[in-house]
Amino acid sequence: MSAVPSSGWLYGAIQRGRNRGLGGLYLVVAAFLVLYAVLFPGILSVSGFSKFTQNWFPLALVTMAQALLMLNGGITLAIGPLVSLGAVIAATTMGGALGVPGGILAVALAGLAIGAVTGAIVAHLRLPAIIVTLAGSFIITGVALILLPRPGGFIPDWLSTTLAGHTPVAFLLLVAILLAWKAFLATPLGIGIYAAGDNPIGAFRSGVPVERVKIVAFALSGLLAALAGLFVAAQTGSGDPVIGTPFTLNSIAAAVLGGVGFLGGKGTMRGAICGSLLLSVMINVMFFLGFPPVAQYVAQGLIIVGAVAVPELLKQWRARR
Amino acid sequence: MTETRPLLEARQVFKGFFGNPVLKGVDIALHPGRVHALLGENGAGKSTLINLLSGALQPDSGTILVDGRPVGRFSPAAARAAGIAVVQQELSLTADLSIAENIGLGAFPRRFGLIDYAALQKGVGEVCAMVGLTEPLDMPVADLSLGRRQMVEIAKALFRKPRVLILDEPTSSLSAHEAGILARLIGTLRDRGTALLYISHRLNEVQALCAHVTVLKDGGVTADQSLAGIDGEGLVRLMVGRETGDLFPPRSVNVSGATRISVEKFSAGLMREIGFSARAGEIVGIGGLVGQGQEDLLLGLYGAIPARADHAEVSGLPRLPAHVGEANAAGIVYVPADRKHEGLVLPHSIAVNLILPSLGRLARRGFRDRAAEAGLIADLARRLTIKGDVARPVQALSGGNQQKVALAKWLPLDPSILLLNDPTRGVDIETKREIYLMLRAFATEGRLVILASSDTPELVHLCDRVVVLREGRVAARLSGAAISEEAIVGAAMGIHEQGEAA
Repeated sequence: MSAVPSSGWLYGAIQRGRNRGLGGLYLVVAAFLVLYAVLFPGILSVSGFSKFTQNWFPLALVTMAQALLMLNGGITLAIGPLVSLGAVIAATTMGGALGVPGGILAVALAGLAIGAVTGAIVAHLRLPAIIVTLAGSFIITGVALILLPRPGGFIPDWLSTTLAGHTPVAFLLLVAILLAWKAFLATPLGIGIYAAGDNPIGAFRSGVPVERVKIVAFALSGLLAALAGLFVAAQTGSGDPVIGTPFTLNSIAAAVLGGVGFLGGKGTMRGAICGSLLLSVMINVMFFLGFPPVAQYVAQGLIIVGAVAVPELLKQWRARR
Repeated sequence: MTETRPLLEARQVFKGFFGNPVLKGVDIALHPGRVHALLGENGAGKSTLINLLSGALQPDSGTILVDGRPVGRFSPAAARAAGIAVVQQELSLTADLSIAENIGLGAFPRRFGLIDYAALQKGVGEVCAMVGLTEPLDMPVADLSLGRRQMVEIAKALFRKPRVLILDEPTSSLSAHEAGILARLIGTLRDRGTALLYISHRLNEVQALCAHVTVLKDGGVTADQSLAGIDGEGLVRLMVGRETGDLFPPRSVNVSGATRISVEKFSAGLMREIGFSARAGEIVGIGGLVGQGQEDLLLGLYGAIPARADHAEVSGLPRLPAHVGEANAAGIVYVPADRKHEGLVLPHSIAVNLILPSLGRLARRGFRDRAAEAGLIADLARRLTIKGDVARPVQALSGGNQQKVALAKWLPLDPSILLLNDPTRGVDIETKREIYLMLRAFATEGRLVILASSDTPELVHLCDRVVVLREGRVAARLSGAAISEEAIVGAAMGIHEQGEAA
């Protein structure tokens, strides 16, 4: 990595550079996966792998939704409500005239639109994202409860079987979404997310449309969260207006575990994805080992604090030597 | 010189903020193939004028003309399209992105909507070669020193192939070597027909590089003329109407008293086992290229970073101060270079900033003593000639006045050693003069002033002794007549090591 190959594959060199500092995370994730496979060898079958990735999939999506905004210097507290709303819209529209395609479209449009509106408020009125999304979370929860006051609705069985059956469709979807993200990050607008997150004034002066970047980031974030809701609805076979609640804080936890900073521009999406995988595996391991739920929360919190404290301690230790 | 049509021109532009006029009818014309200097004290309106010329702000009245044609609404995008690039004082870089991505940001070559990294590499490689950036293009900007980042910033402006290039204090964080590269680059661009606007507080650079000067004072143009035949003193006269003679106060005659600092084999941060001593009543300058350990020397003496020494006596302590509190108690204070982040609490009032270090001392039975505080604030404001309402937030002040506040807040502690890190960086000439006078007065009162500076004339004319650092070691110790710009720059560059006459 010390020199760009003169024949020129700058993109590759930059991509390799982004793995820098993630080695430790990769190792920890690999160790947990090995531990998991030893404890539950079932994961090594197609069906076991499918179930495992289905448990991880919605968390991966909401972590992307969260990391996207954190990289842009923002944050959202509306992830959980958007997941719920996505599930509710899916469960209330798929039985309608337009069927499943109409339902998917409705979920995607709702996510994009809510995200874009939130983003426009944050960008153009220059309000703090944490407040706007907090307010948004109440509104979205309310709307979800109006649409579907109690769990129910209709999801066709074939959709549940396709997405959450014994085939790794969810995993393939995740791979596709990650490839789409990579392509987006290779556009000027995608790079603009980093630039506007780290140094908004500098990015503006450089010709990055900072406001538009922010609105796009919020819209994509909303889309990902709503799609996670659609998947959760397919998984459970119905819509539930409060099912998304834990995702808000878990998405932040996973992004932080993956090394995404709170001040914008710091971190990588690959790190965030690893963070979500790690969190998902940890939750599963503790669940299957029969930890009482309370102990799970305590352990989860300790691990997250440890995950941010250890690199910092290592840095100080290195600096002192 | 043949008269050409200006590429970029402002005619009778007015601009005010909140009813406070900043520019009052300014004219400036940038011609191709000419380096134009823009001089003026801080607060004279330079930044506002740059913002108008680059489309970041709209004039209240008056016109901006590109190629002789008035432009209606001049936006940053329109300015870029017209080939105008600005290298601002504040960097516009993203730490986590690579050098190449930073340089291309906002002007990426594209293919199928994606960034064309191959084309980017080629274009960026060319501009990096022009500015002498040899680092790999995939290196994140976070890994570069401040001076190198400045060069990336300049390369970024060049990447847009500007017809008009505006450089706002480009050398403030550059080493002498990098400044030399920049000077040659400016010559090359000029010969290619680029119109350049060069803003600097360093008059020798202006003299060396520029052909024409516009001087702003209080929002008006006081001079717009060729630089031919004007020397440094003439330039200063244009800016302040004062002889350079009194920019620097006269040195006092041999007042040095007892030894205040004596360290042997001192190491801290980049500093490697240096010996250093200084006496009361002296102003000791610390020179060298950017980032040779100057700041670590000061911070180590201040107890702010881990430091060790075989033998140390600092302000009566038989060792190095273990932490900042101990240093303060021993009468050592530190004024950081980055006043906005380390020296001041920007949104708070001048008054609050002034009494911050004294809050504990002024308290009575654990509560604040408002009367004593008010008295102290009034006294400090008077002594430091801080004008106006002290209830204003510090960020409303100009850079120079902010620096005065950062310095003044320590005076109630009656410090015996003042450690100053580049106190005049980005400070206008009038305030510089006031700060110099103040520092000389401190020395005369028997205090020890240690001044790390990137401004060589300041080291030459203000300091009684100068220690030049290079790669964490002492490259030269100069005193008296041996202090000269040549000796300092030479030692800093490692050309000749000399002088043990400390």
